Amino acid sequence: MFIEDIRNDFYNVLLGNRVLLLVHYDVDAICACKILQELFRCDNVSYTLVPVGGLSELKSAYEENNEEVKYVVLVNCGGTVDLVDILQPDEHVVFFVLDSHKPTDICNVYSDGQVRLLYKDEEENIPNFDDIFRDDEDQENEEELEARHGLEALVERRRARKAWEERRHTLMFNYTQFSYYGKPSTSVALELAVRASRCTAAALWCASVAAAAHAALHCRSPARCLLDAEPLHRYVAAAQRKTTDDDVHQAARVVVEKDVWLPLYRWWSVEGAISHAAALAPQLRLHTHSGAARLRQLLADMGFPLQQARQAYRSMDVELRRALLPALEAAAPRQRLPAPARAAFLLQRPHAPTLAALDVVYAIMGLIENESTPRAEGFQHALAALAVGGDGESLQRGVAAARRALEAVARAAHGTLAARAVLLAGPFNYFIVQEGSPEAAALRGPLWLAEAARWVGAAHSHAPRPLLASAPGADGDCLLLGLPPRFDQEPRNLFGAAFEQAATKSGASVSLDFVDSSIISLPVSQRAQFLDALTALLA
Amino acid sequence: MHVLFKMNMDDANATTENKSLWTTVQVRHSALERNKRCLLAYLYNRMDKIKTLRWEFGSVLPPDVRELLSDTEYDWFSKYSTNLAQYMRSLGEDIGYSGIDLTENLRPPKWLYIEVLCLTDYGKLELEDGDVVMLKKNSRHFLPTSECQTLIRQGVLKQIV
Repeated sequence: MFIEDIRNDFYNVLLGNRVLLLVHYDVDAICACKILQELFRCDNVSYTLVPVGGLSELKSAYEENNEEVKYVVLVNCGGTVDLVDILQPDEHVVFFVLDSHKPTDICNVYSDGQVRLLYKDEEENIPNFDDIFRDDEDQENEEELEARHGLEALVERRRARKAWEERRHTLMFNYTQFSYYGKPSTSVALELAVRASRCTAAALWCASVAAAAHAALHCRSPARCLLDAEPLHRYVAAAQRKTTDDDVHQAARVVVEKDVWLPLYRWWSVEGAISHAAALAPQLRLHTHSGAARLRQLLADMGFPLQQARQAYRSMDVELRRALLPALEAAAPRQRLPAPARAAFLLQRPHAPTLAALDVVYAIMGLIENESTPRAEGFQHALAALAVGGDGESLQRGVAAARRALEAVARAAHGTLAARAVLLAGPFNYFIVQEGSPEAAALRGPLWLAEAARWVGAAHSHAPRPLLASAPGADGDCLLLGLPPRFDQEPRNLFGAAFEQAATKSGASVSLDFVDSSIISLPVSQRAQFLDALTALLA
Repeated sequence: MHVLFKMNMDDANATTENKSLWTTVQVRHSALERNKRCLLAYLYNRMDKIKTLRWEFGSVLPPDVRELLSDTEYDWFSKYSTNLAQYMRSLGEDIGYSGIDLTENLRPPKWLYIEVLCLTDYGKLELEDGDVVMLKKNSRHFLPTSECQTLIRQGVLKQIV
């Protein structure tokens, strides 16, 4: 069931009670969680926060923590599956689901109060209740009427029922065919914070990071991203109007400025940032011999001496730093690169350097999918990295990890493209990161593997096809994820439903554990037969 | 001290006849008094330390500390404990509270609820109002300060600023 008034029906219900918060491992969920935590802290709502990675972890976390808990809030997990069926809760437990993964499961939508969805998404075409659920009382009526009206009426009723069932099947197929993302959960959390009059700079910053995440990871098409970020722009403008000139240099604030869309360029060198940016680097074709020459040509067009471009950004000449944005904008069309500058969110702090929301996105990704630290520990660091104040130690760790991961992604993508290891299989391409290569450790998680897949996909942008990427995981399993063609314009992914059907057909022991249905994990030995079944299915 | 005392007694008895021994008696008496002062100071200091033990450890002492106290000291400790408990129970009686635990926070706490991170697999923790919290490694909780203090001191929970 949908909640209309988020403040009265959700927040006020939780006040004074204990809450169980279950949060998924992704940037948007962590930002939303941070805003919710701040709200709970202000109002002294006791909570327990447990991060979950997949459906099995969701189940075990719920079972361990469900004693005496009446309210469970799920952030970015559990919206796409039938919660009541999987978790088997008691009658009085209420679930509040804030999930940006769509399509939402029908049983969650039409639940009578046990599962409550925090906002109604206008883009989803949810089928009507009558089209999906039908009373089974008609069964009994049938036998009664059979005796009375004879054969004709019975045949008529059976035909109507069959037609209804076919229509239901088509509706459900169309509904669940594509998996996609709705607006960021953090924007809903920000809306709640504003309604509760607790919209601080910290909440605005979390929302900006989530908006940058959706744009950078191509979860939504660019037009939709802008529409989603529109309330955030409004609140940032309102906050700016409220601060007088005296306060400007005393508090941290979020501003919107035109900024270069290069991840981590303030923490790296200009050359490093350009050669590892997922938006620009594939177009430069750095895996070819002429790629390095093209990069040097680009830097020359910008007017940056090579030695300066290779230095750390903070040690670069101040004039060059100021000139970076206009120079890159002017030089990009000559190399046929997409427009590098966008309106981006920056955090200006009085005694610390400016932070870009895009950098924090990659830092959080680096923390939760780290080669050395386990996910749960990385989660704690990620929450600390979102803090507006503080010494930023977690953020620095995250940035260092993200740099290493981006370098590994670049190496893996270049290796695959140079060795022409992108294999064709029916209607889609796929490539495999080999076990034992140095990049395999960094690409173990779905976020970085998706980054590598987008890189490889962007390099083939002249002939777009769906792309599958596989990387070795833990003990004999491998991760397989699917990317739609033209992911930057049309991010609706059909691989979710396809994987499910191919799994039943090929008989491989596939684990559909991930919340995002376009990611699966399966034993390496069965990968080949699974890919064959998938090819046969999609051909 | 006994030796000194005996010698002094003999000499004191002897001085009734011979006045020249008075100075020795005087010196020995001062020595006896000085020793007595030292011993009393030592015992007083021990008593003070046992008092702080009660405030640090609560009314049950760990065994390695217990065996270092003499029996009379332990008696004194239990009587002090009883006194303290009686006093704490009497606080707020007229309002209706059954007493306040003064030994909980030696400094006033700044927040009513604090956020803690669980460092080890502790198991179930029962709160005052009946809620049961499952403390597993790497789970974060937001609980009333009074519940968490003992566990923070033990090292099971860590406060997140």
